[in-house]
Amino acid sequence: MRISKNILVTMIVLLLAVFLVASEGLAQKIGFDDKEIRIGSWSPQTGPAAPWGATSRGVKLLFDIINEEGGIHGRQLRLFIRDDQYNPSQTMAAVRDLVDRQGVLAFVGGVGTAPALAVKQYLAQNKIPLVSVMTGAENIHVPHNPWLWGTWPLYDDDASVMAKFVVQKLKAKKIGMLYQNDDYGLDPLAAVQRRLKTYNMELAIAVPVEPIERDLSSQISRLKAAGCDVVIGYVAPTQAAIALRSAVSVDFRPQWIHSYNLTDFVLMNKITDGLWAKEGVMTSAFTDDIFDYSLPNMKKYADTAKRLAPDERWGIFYAAGIVAAEPLVHALKQAGRDLSTEALVRELNKMDNFKGIGPRVSWSAKNHLPPKEFSVWKCGPKGEVIVVQGWTVNDMPKKR
Amino acid sequence: MPVGQLLIDGLAMGACYGLFGLAVVIIYKTSDVINFAAGEMAMFSTFVAFHVLSIFGYPFWIAFIVALAFAALLGVLVDYFFLRPAKNPTLLGLIVITIGAQMLLAGLASWKWGAEQKQFSIPVSYSITYEPIKGFIISQWALAVFITAIVIVTFMFFFFKYTKMGTAMRATQQNKHAAKIMGIKTDRVFAFAWGFSSVIGAITALLLSAKTILDPGFMMEPFLRAFAAAVLGGLMSIPGVLLGGLIMGLIENFFGYVWPAWKPITAFVVIVLVLCVRPSGLFAKHYVKKV
Repeated sequence: MRISKNILVTMIVLLLAVFLVASEGLAQKIGFDDKEIRIGSWSPQTGPAAPWGATSRGVKLLFDIINEEGGIHGRQLRLFIRDDQYNPSQTMAAVRDLVDRQGVLAFVGGVGTAPALAVKQYLAQNKIPLVSVMTGAENIHVPHNPWLWGTWPLYDDDASVMAKFVVQKLKAKKIGMLYQNDDYGLDPLAAVQRRLKTYNMELAIAVPVEPIERDLSSQISRLKAAGCDVVIGYVAPTQAAIALRSAVSVDFRPQWIHSYNLTDFVLMNKITDGLWAKEGVMTSAFTDDIFDYSLPNMKKYADTAKRLAPDERWGIFYAAGIVAAEPLVHALKQAGRDLSTEALVRELNKMDNFKGIGPRVSWSAKNHLPPKEFSVWKCGPKGEVIVVQGWTVNDMPKKR
Repeated sequence: MPVGQLLIDGLAMGACYGLFGLAVVIIYKTSDVINFAAGEMAMFSTFVAFHVLSIFGYPFWIAFIVALAFAALLGVLVDYFFLRPAKNPTLLGLIVITIGAQMLLAGLASWKWGAEQKQFSIPVSYSITYEPIKGFIISQWALAVFITAIVIVTFMFFFFKYTKMGTAMRATQQNKHAAKIMGIKTDRVFAFAWGFSSVIGAITALLLSAKTILDPGFMMEPFLRAFAAAVLGGLMSIPGVLLGGLIMGLIENFFGYVWPAWKPITAFVVIVLVLCVRPSGLFAKHYVKKV
């Protein structure tokens, strides 16, 4: 009986301890203190989508640079990166953990449509800003969500600018489209069709691809049989590389032009055995050329990456993390020493033509949509970026 | 419809499915186990070739031989460390173990080589093409696939029919205990089967990596197709599996051309229909065990 009593007392003490620790954890929920500002980010660090995980590490690079320069109003930026393996249920668990236990002020980046859809309501309910969510799917931003700000352009706007370029600049006669059979491909398909209608044109053929497919021979045969001189692509990097290889193997050589997700020419050229450059593949783009060191801050970022993260490749996904984080850092600076969630939201909503290494960003209380501005790049003979069309705003955005 | 092109592309991809199906069948023929780690084992061996070629800088043929030697060793190790320690395993238990091995290998490859797509090419090129008859463009890669498939299938046919080890493997599959009583060292037979299967898988993966892209997930989809091809042809028949693969490749290409959105499932629908009529597959002998 005495033993039972001892056990009971021990359990009560333990429960009290847990309760006290938990209370302290809850007390940390404000997201910052005198020394640091806590920010969260999720991305796939492992699993098939892991190449996109570089974005969160790019965010970290920018935070490290800011911290080296003394932080923001005396506070250091602390980034919590969580690996969700591109699995929405794991995204939810990671986001809950960061909100409830670490107490983050805001999230930055966050890769993928499905993961973002899984957490956007939860973040809104808890009044946690999500800045620069990394997906161009329309259903993330529509209807307006007061706790979500977009930097990643909508695929719909991207495709509309691309279709205009293909008709006006490339003078294409027969345009084909190879698209991923989900939101990533279907939104742009509708946008291309809408744009072509204004020129009294139609797609010669539109061929779907499933994201897991590794044999695209029949799709390429269809595009070839339709006699396409230009093919617009909305597929993942792997499918784009396989499509190009398959096309060359049957001597089908149209002008390929892909979405902004394929602007990593170094990678694409490498995995296509140099075909990306040889065939002069084009892409749209919403960042500046990350190898153009004459642009403001670009050399500083690239040099610091080499020094602080020597194992990291200075690639487009890594730099995209910086693109995503720059508006947040700007808003935190503008909010001043007297920081709060309200102050951060106020400054995000006042963002007016902010320009980092990405597109110009403008938000207001009623409009958090991402920029509609793109340029068009061509892969040069040495794999370098040739800008064939400068920054162009979509003049035919979808009515929302 | 460019019939000639669809035919050649379908047959080339189908030959890859068939070859990889053989890797599945070798283990099934010996132990009744479906090896769900076959794709990842082949992927891992291809990464070894990539490492020897790109990181160590050795010529392709050395990388090729090292990869095949590694594949054989990997197969034996999977059998030795994963399957043998299982105490009184059921068939389902063994299959679950192979799924565990698959996850382990996928994780290891991501950790060692990263998830980013890798540059990896073999001496036969998909961009060098020949057009012997108008409309029939055949690449060097497709030619290499056809030749490899013919050589491997012929070898396997004679191996299972005329060699001692081949006969021992078939005997072990039919009755493990009787085979043991007859003096067959069944543990050795299993180890050999795993090693042999792993080598065939590695050769196919090396060929496929030249047409697709090398990354840790690159054999996931071909494995599913190969497994389906093996079921279609009949899991017990070596030529049947290759024919199943060829049929699979053709169905995919022709249906994929007409209805691209349905391409990924068309072949599986056909398989279900075939299995409704012939449960053992198209080319396997159908037999019913008396109880």
